[in-house]
Amino acid sequence: MRAFVAIVGVTARALAGRRRTLLIALLAWLPVLLAILVRIGGGRPDAPEILDALVIRTVCPLVALVVGTGAIGSEIEDGTLVFQLIKPLPRWLVALAKGLVAAFVTSVLIVPPMVVTGLLLGGLGPDAIQTTGGFALAGLVGGSAYAIGFTALGVITGRALIVGLGYTLIWEGVLAGILEGTRFLSVRQATLGVAAALTGEDVGEEPLAAVLSIGILVVVTVGGLALTTLSLRRFQLRTAD
Amino acid sequence: MTGHVAPSAPPAPTGVPAAPTGNIYDLGYRGYDGPRYGRLTVALALLRQSLQEAFGIGRGGRAKIAPFLLLALNTLPALLAVGITALVRQAGGGDVLGDANPIRHDTYWSLTSTLVMLFCAAQAPELFGRDQRYGVLPLYFSRVLTRLDYALARTGGLFIAILIVTLSPQLVLTIGAILGAADPVTGLRDELPEIPRYLAVCLLGSATFAGVSAVVASYTPRRAYSVAGIIALFIVPPIIVSIIAALSVPDIARVLLLASPSDVIDGVNGVLYGPLRIAGETIVVATLDGWVYVVTALGYVVGSLAILVRRYLTITV
Amino acid sequence: MSTVVPALQLDHVSRWYGNVVAVNDVSFALGAGVTGLLGPNGAGKSTLLHLLAGLLAPSAGTVHIGGRVAFGDPMVYSMVGLVPEREAVPGYLTGREFVRFNADLQGVADASAVTDGVIATVELTDAADRSIRTYSKGMRQRIKLAAALVHEPSILLLDEPFNGLDPRQRLHMMELLRRMAAQGRAILFSSHILEEVERLAEAILVMFAGRLAASGDFRSIRRLMTDRPHRFTIRSSDDRALGAALLSDPAVFGVDLLDGRLAVQASDLGAFARIVAPVARAAGIRLHELTPTDDTLESVFSYLVRR
Repeated sequence: MRAFVAIVGVTARALAGRRRTLLIALLAWLPVLLAILVRIGGGRPDAPEILDALVIRTVCPLVALVVGTGAIGSEIEDGTLVFQLIKPLPRWLVALAKGLVAAFVTSVLIVPPMVVTGLLLGGLGPDAIQTTGGFALAGLVGGSAYAIGFTALGVITGRALIVGLGYTLIWEGVLAGILEGTRFLSVRQATLGVAAALTGEDVGEEPLAAVLSIGILVVVTVGGLALTTLSLRRFQLRTAD
Repeated sequence: MTGHVAPSAPPAPTGVPAAPTGNIYDLGYRGYDGPRYGRLTVALALLRQSLQEAFGIGRGGRAKIAPFLLLALNTLPALLAVGITALVRQAGGGDVLGDANPIRHDTYWSLTSTLVMLFCAAQAPELFGRDQRYGVLPLYFSRVLTRLDYALARTGGLFIAILIVTLSPQLVLTIGAILGAADPVTGLRDELPEIPRYLAVCLLGSATFAGVSAVVASYTPRRAYSVAGIIALFIVPPIIVSIIAALSVPDIARVLLLASPSDVIDGVNGVLYGPLRIAGETIVVATLDGWVYVVTALGYVVGSLAILVRRYLTITV
Repeated sequence: MSTVVPALQLDHVSRWYGNVVAVNDVSFALGAGVTGLLGPNGAGKSTLLHLLAGLLAPSAGTVHIGGRVAFGDPMVYSMVGLVPEREAVPGYLTGREFVRFNADLQGVADASAVTDGVIATVELTDAADRSIRTYSKGMRQRIKLAAALVHEPSILLLDEPFNGLDPRQRLHMMELLRRMAAQGRAILFSSHILEEVERLAEAILVMFAGRLAASGDFRSIRRLMTDRPHRFTIRSSDDRALGAALLSDPAVFGVDLLDGRLAVQASDLGAFARIVAPVARAAGIRLHELTPTDDTLESVFSYLVRR
């Protein structure tokens, strides 16, 4: 237990101190900036539009990608992971600690700006609250699932960032849209499904059913943790480049 | 055996004044006095090597995966389009697709620009970051190659690589059109006006992307930062622009458009082709005058080269 | 030789990366005491240590540490400590925090006291509350050692531990390692500096180009190298005459007259030792000094890597 807390603490500190985390935090607050611009410019304050298109589709996976691949991947890259591996700890414990931190940091980074954006655009009426809250909750669970999935990716490959980007931009962005039957293989669609169920808003093309969406997110989360555990068990030091 | 005591053996025991010995071994090493290649040859060699590195050639299998995969993915739609058009024609459908075919010369850039951006994000860090990370810049700069040459040669290599990625599918479409036409001469004649157009878009687009990614990569030697930075610069602005446009704040949208390299190139595309029509619907309408896009694109190219050159002129090695 | 399971055991272990063989069919068993792993850069020492530490899987053969398979068994680490060379310490932690972190992960009781104790052992108490980012190379080395010692491992693996230490720190660490070995621990350290290994190691393993070239005590290794002549330096009252006299004996097959001394190459150490005095006496020559000139680790090593 003490070891679990220790890993959580060190990983959280590592993530918090990194410059890339600060930069990605800026990205997370971009929707707020947009909301302000829209309000000032007198445009139509369409909260679901921004929260959906910008946050869920772009900000959420990108933040989760940077945080997730940083949780273990960057420690592999700079060599500090070794000190955590040469300890008598079951690998699932390490995986769980890292995944938890990744999910937590991702949520902390994206949820507050989402709430602020939603309130700025939608105001405080009951409908707006439901929209804002629904999207925020979807962002929380979706972002966490993304983060844990990307944490596993960070252990598996040294080029996790590019692979993750390929997944987000190419697979989720394009292909899953074209090939109807594969929509369940997209975390984005699952997140949108949750958002649609919670807010009752129209989130673009026909969203996945709530149960299916939650199921997908659970599978991604649990699968991500399992994959991280397995990869850590078989971890070998990488040769340079 | 009459050899000396091996030079690496410890000296004679104390008390005996060791005779100072010094040996020079002739290993046959000679200086080179012959003719040497000049700056241009060296710079071109670096350009060629950068181009190879951009595709992972000479670096082992794993380095080739990302660039070649992206090149293949980028060319795939063109191959599919040519194939399907040919099949339809064979089945007697004639040129029924026409405007409805979403994969054409004019639509190709916006269709696949994401893949090109990924290529930049994957390979620009290799070209500009690795030399800094491994501290080999002094080795380059202590030769006849100047810092300016280095910056230009590297960027040139990246530019040509991106050009290959963007031009290949267009060439495939052209060849497909020529071969699929009633007779090659007619096909060629129909294609001829297209060629300068897509050449211009590809050249300007590749140059812009190359310049921008080179600047980001040269300032961030660590690969993760480069990749993230390049992607952020290409991917995020268009989304912001489209949202703001959708929420009808057109003035701000127009200005922000120019801060987004990828939108600028889409604009250039629009300049050369006019509004894009797919299946009778107009998809993209340029919101600014055409020349603004072209000038901005050129500005990106020149500006990024200037920043890049300045970076390498002042970098401390 | 005790009957306990050897602390470290390699059986025909090889490790390759594609076409490059980093470790080539290495077998040995080690117990308590200090062993030096010697070899030039690129010989495979780091790879071997990583194999022993379970950070690499052998491409062939088996690696056992403390009786258990090294790779894939996290529980092995309760008795193993590793001081890696290349792997970086997290710069944003202070020295104390880093050691405490390691202690927590090891589940050490009374972690706070143990942390302080181990930091005092490596003499970093003054710098313990500064962030590791500000440490010199030698200090980083020592904090890595401290982190490896928190759980009092019975097996300690050190990769080039004296890199970056000044002479006083080096002596201090050697003394520390000797003390630990005397407590019954198995200590394996790698180095390419011959003097360090000669001073500290009780036994050596010599690696060259991925292969184990020799193992054991270096003087006995030297004696085993019968195809290399033993070299001696003699100062006497008449070097030339002594040289001529010695050359007539079958144990000697080469003499060199050098300025002020005689260099002798003998094929058989024992025989030469027996004949040198009688030969000198018979010739009426007084011997002033007789020194073996290649009984050092350095010459042993250079012979081994040249074969």
